[in-house]
Amino acid sequence: MRRPIRLLSIFRKTLREQSRDLWLLALSLVAAPFFVVLYWLLFVGGSTAYGVLVLDADRGAVLADGTVFSAGDELVAGLEKVTYASGSPLLRVGRASDLESAKATLANRDAALLLVLPEDFSRGILAFREATSGGGGAPVGGSDGPSGPPAAPTVTFIGDLTSAAYAVSSVLTLATLDEYLQAATGQTRPVELAEEPLGASGVRTEFETYVPGLLILSVTLLIFLAAMTVAREVETGAVRRLRVTPMTSFDLLAGISLNQVLVGVTAVLLTFGTAYLFGFRSQGPLWVAILVGAVTTLSVVGLGLVVAAFSRGVTDAFVIGNFPLIFLMFFSGAIYPLPRTALFTLGGHAVAIYDFIPATHAVVALNKVLTLGAGLGQVAYELIALVALSAVYFAAGVWLFQRRHLRRS
Amino acid sequence: MTPNPPNSAEIVLRAENLTKRYGDLLAVDRLSLEVRGGEILGFLGPNGAGKTTAIGMMCGLLRPDAGETFIRGRPVRGGDPEALARVGLAPQSVILWPKLTGLEQLEFVGEMYGMPRPDARRRGRELLETVGLAEKANKLASTLSGGMQRRLNLVLALIHDPEIVILDEPEAGLDPQGRVLVRDYIRLLARERGKTVILTTHNMDEADRLADRVAIIDRGRLLTLDTPEELKHRVGEGDVLEIEVSDAPGEAPGPGGGAGHPVLRTLEELARARGGVGAAGATGAAGATGAASASAVSRVGHIITLRARDAVNLVAAALDALRSAGFRPGAVHLRETTLEDVFIAFTGRSLRE
Repeated sequence: MRRPIRLLSIFRKTLREQSRDLWLLALSLVAAPFFVVLYWLLFVGGSTAYGVLVLDADRGAVLADGTVFSAGDELVAGLEKVTYASGSPLLRVGRASDLESAKATLANRDAALLLVLPEDFSRGILAFREATSGGGGAPVGGSDGPSGPPAAPTVTFIGDLTSAAYAVSSVLTLATLDEYLQAATGQTRPVELAEEPLGASGVRTEFETYVPGLLILSVTLLIFLAAMTVAREVETGAVRRLRVTPMTSFDLLAGISLNQVLVGVTAVLLTFGTAYLFGFRSQGPLWVAILVGAVTTLSVVGLGLVVAAFSRGVTDAFVIGNFPLIFLMFFSGAIYPLPRTALFTLGGHAVAIYDFIPATHAVVALNKVLTLGAGLGQVAYELIALVALSAVYFAAGVWLFQRRHLRRS
Repeated sequence: MTPNPPNSAEIVLRAENLTKRYGDLLAVDRLSLEVRGGEILGFLGPNGAGKTTAIGMMCGLLRPDAGETFIRGRPVRGGDPEALARVGLAPQSVILWPKLTGLEQLEFVGEMYGMPRPDARRRGRELLETVGLAEKANKLASTLSGGMQRRLNLVLALIHDPEIVILDEPEAGLDPQGRVLVRDYIRLLARERGKTVILTTHNMDEADRLADRVAIIDRGRLLTLDTPEELKHRVGEGDVLEIEVSDAPGEAPGPGGGAGHPVLRTLEELARARGGVGAAGATGAAGATGAASASAVSRVGHIITLRARDAVNLVAAALDALRSAGFRPGAVHLRETTLEDVFIAFTGRSLRE
């Protein structure tokens, strides 16, 4: 008689078991396609458009024929025409009213670059055009006309130098500026360029730029611990034993969450401690950054409870936990920027779909504190958002867990 | 909690028309019963009979589709903390926290019932002592043997000193020593501590030794509820005579062969003449189930069973009858009617699951 091939027998047995645990199999199979669809949905309205704010102080110039020449407006129009091959805009150009609010917008990551055009931008360009063409169209107001080499106006780029979005948007803006200047004056870059780092972003080492992301990672991974700790109570039947006691789902989940938050805060402290040991320095008060980390932990644990509510055991929790983890890591701006469409405005802050992911606020707040030197007041919005999201996710977790595992069925 | 005098007439738990359905399966069908303070109630039934579902509804773990359980008049359904605190459940499967010690588990569950920690700790130590786990109090549950884990599982139901203790298969997985210890402990709970104990079991011997009353449930319905003695009396007062026989001439060999052989009628007449089963007692059972239209004589395979009073005086006549019919009688066993006979009489011999 032919002996069975054990490897195939084991393969068949595993296949049978797997096909009888359709929930886990389905989750494993649909995860990647789900995110493909999600990304397609995110990008279907256009690819990432990098936010560029223009603080246009240019006073323009009146030409000899009486027309007004405004180089600032022309440049802004040029920036707005920068598109992908598909025609989608590459730059989301907006105008800033003052330097202070524009910097706040940069710090909130609602824009990546602030382009400051000087008062004499138009006049300077006109002067260079004159010098190239040898006359005509001289400005009426302003300077008395070139009597030597024209003075080059200074265009300033301001942004968070540690941000990838700034790098991309500044390159695109500079290329557009160069192109415009070449066309307008026939000269190569007849302006002075200045770059002003937002906050202390100019003095950060590459190592220091990674620390906030790593901190977010350490907190985010708690989603597994939180979900698995609760799911273990379900798997072992402990929840059944507790269900006959007067204990409530709030007691159970709040007790476990408190423990997880403690673990999270310890992880935050350890991460900072290790980073400090190797030369990392916070530009803002460290306790604010720790507070941000702690509050982020709350919201991640809240999400963990939601995961636990849908889990019948530890394995389920691990597989299901990957879904919110991907959201926390890839849709929060922690790794790379995504198209950001504001749904509504709240207290002067544009709220986008990603703002329902706690890590989005944590990334912004930590960046503000650690890199830009912000204090508590400047991250109040993010902290409030984190607390609100924590409350929502925790309440959702308790409600779902109660319905799925603690309700007397 | 005030202990009940042993087996008082006071009703501490009343189940009224408890019904539970899982899809097409009617797990429990209009179950009604009353449990008296201080008694030990044995809850018997074949696998899948609905025992665990029924006790789940009684202790508030499951919500009935219809009906209600009252503990000292308070409904359990809404999760009334006072009603819940009066009940302790030791589930059939061992449910422990592997990374907690025995004492820590007791302390924790005690706190869940609202006990101050020092009280829970003190009582935990007492309980561990009573089930022989005092020396293992500070060992992690995961390091305890299976039997120790079962004993710990049992005392976790008692930490809050409940009035009613529900034990689902308390002797399952225990060695003989463990069984004796648990059995003595259950007896102590009811007789000395005044607890009301409801226990489900497959072990008829356990139920017979322990229970003041026995409820038999099958296919979700309560078939009977009475004292073991009364049930045995109903099924067949007297003894059980078992005779091992060879296949009769001309009958089909094997377990089914000869089930309707004419000699069985002869034996039945002998038994009835001595007041065997099928007389007064069995009528009640048959009426309740339809399964125990039991005659005094039955045959399964090579064993012929005959129930009758004073069966010892029937032996010679029965053997003669068998020999006359061409059987070759072998071993003969004479014993008293057991709860297992009652159980089979009420629930039949077919496997449930």
